[in-house]
Amino acid sequence: MRNVFFILIILLISSFFGCLMFGGGRISIEEVITGLFHPQSEGVASTIIWQIRIPRVILGFLVGAGLAASGCVFQGLLRNPLAEPYTLGVSGGAAFGATIGVILELGSFWLPGCAFLGALLSISLVYLVASIKRFSIPTLVLGGVILSFLFSSMVMFIFAISQSDRIHSCILWLMGDLSVAEPNLIKLILIFILIGVSSILIFSRDLNILTLGEEKATHLGVEVIKVKRLLFIITSFITGGCVSASGIIGFVGLIIPHFMRQLIGPNHVVLIPASVLAGAIFLSLCDCLARTIIAPQELPVGVITGILGGIFFLTFLLRAKRWEIF
Amino acid sequence: MLEVFNLTCGYNGRKEVIKDVSFHVRRGDFIGIIGPNGSGKTTLFRALTKILPIWQGEILYEGEDIRKISSKELAKKVAVLPQILEITFPFTVSEFVMMGRFPHLERFEKVKEGDLEVVRRAIESTDTLSLRDRKIGELSGGERQRVLLAQALAQQPELLLLDEPTTHLDISHQVDILDMVKRLSLEKDLTIISILHDLNLASEYCKRLILLKEGKIFKEGTPGDVLTCQDIKEVYNTVVVVDKSPISFKPHLFLYSKWDKGEI
Repeated sequence: MRNVFFILIILLISSFFGCLMFGGGRISIEEVITGLFHPQSEGVASTIIWQIRIPRVILGFLVGAGLAASGCVFQGLLRNPLAEPYTLGVSGGAAFGATIGVILELGSFWLPGCAFLGALLSISLVYLVASIKRFSIPTLVLGGVILSFLFSSMVMFIFAISQSDRIHSCILWLMGDLSVAEPNLIKLILIFILIGVSSILIFSRDLNILTLGEEKATHLGVEVIKVKRLLFIITSFITGGCVSASGIIGFVGLIIPHFMRQLIGPNHVVLIPASVLAGAIFLSLCDCLARTIIAPQELPVGVITGILGGIFFLTFLLRAKRWEIF
Repeated sequence: MLEVFNLTCGYNGRKEVIKDVSFHVRRGDFIGIIGPNGSGKTTLFRALTKILPIWQGEILYEGEDIRKISSKELAKKVAVLPQILEITFPFTVSEFVMMGRFPHLERFEKVKEGDLEVVRRAIESTDTLSLRDRKIGELSGGERQRVLLAQALAQQPELLLLDEPTTHLDISHQVDILDMVKRLSLEKDLTIISILHDLNLASEYCKRLILLKEGKIFKEGTPGDVLTCQDIKEVYNTVVVVDKSPISFKPHLFLYSKWDKGEI
């Protein structure tokens, strides 16, 4: 267990340096180090590192961590290994909220709030549908797909009727892109994710017990309704923060908790911190790949996670036993 | 320790399932709840553990209205062995038993030596030591029931509610689990209320039986009082012959097929 965390931290540090080195143009490790220690210097390397790459790596860390943590919570609460902000349509709801914020030209400070409200709307809908039709895996996944369609159509509708010239950047952002965020927004997201993830950690023992079902959890003394409501609000908060900064990045919350559970087991007290670290590493590396794979052009990172996640989802479906799906 | 007065309850928007039920449970009792499918046995348990709201009447636990007791406080006194428990994630047996300590731990409190000791004893007294590192999902039916029992014991309850602990078990495991419960009830001064499907097992292990019919108490008393062929015929709509077990001299039911009587 200790070893896993040790390795994750080493990987986090190396992915930080890796992401500073690779991108549109390659910067050598020596230049990275000198650039890092001389933020005020006039050199090209230092400017690229401090102006472009560091904000981006940090945003990647934050969003990856946030999405992975939300994935852990959704999977535990809904007792469903396929639940995560993207598959449940929560990211779609957040994007819808943020789009409305963009069109109303509310300014980037308000975007996370709008996205949070959108996410909250969407999670309430998912929960309503699931509690009427029971929490079976097909209901949840289908409900999430339907909600995602619904929200993305509404987003398209808003784009179609609006005259705003910001639509092009909006569309890029919707595909899941870490490059468009402004520095102030990143600071705001930092606060969102820090508060969100640490509040989730407070409930990790409750989450363990909630995986046994709501009835058993009540019998073991968990205040189910209160805890569940709080966790849904917190995850909407985190997802809202992530989506407002980087659009819809799918599957991070699905893949990371799954692999971490294989590695260190289902106990949320360690699973959540491990997923937070792994999510940060994973997303920043995906983004590094997105920046280099067709350089000098860039791919939105959502394309990379989408492809990896799609493959993962498919293998899961093919390998899962019948009872895991139905 | 547990008093139920004129309890009426049911599920949201539907008609009442439990109607005007009253009974008392004394410390050290071993009570069996019997009755046909749909007679409200599990619903009664749900009301006793605050899963379902009380529509009318009241439930007092040691004189205190259970609506005023928080779920956490209640979980320190009452543990439940559910009929079905789907476990989605691969927890190990020891992690699972440890969850029984949840009601005793404050939110930021670390697990202490005392908690580990309670868990160790729970594991020993349910004979699950060898299963400690196995995953819950891999266990057989009998092993699983013992592990569930260990978790319930880790709560250090005064009252243990068992919802059909013997269903899906073969006869040797049925006897094992009930013997274990009986032993614990004596050793740890644990009060037991168990829903039982098998009337002969109910007769064998319970001091008192509560027979439910359509949400009401049809009859209450010792197995000898309750398990009579008239009452069984009335409640279950099945003809049985009641005799005594040659070993324990408790009432024992014999079923017979209409085929043998030449009715079919």
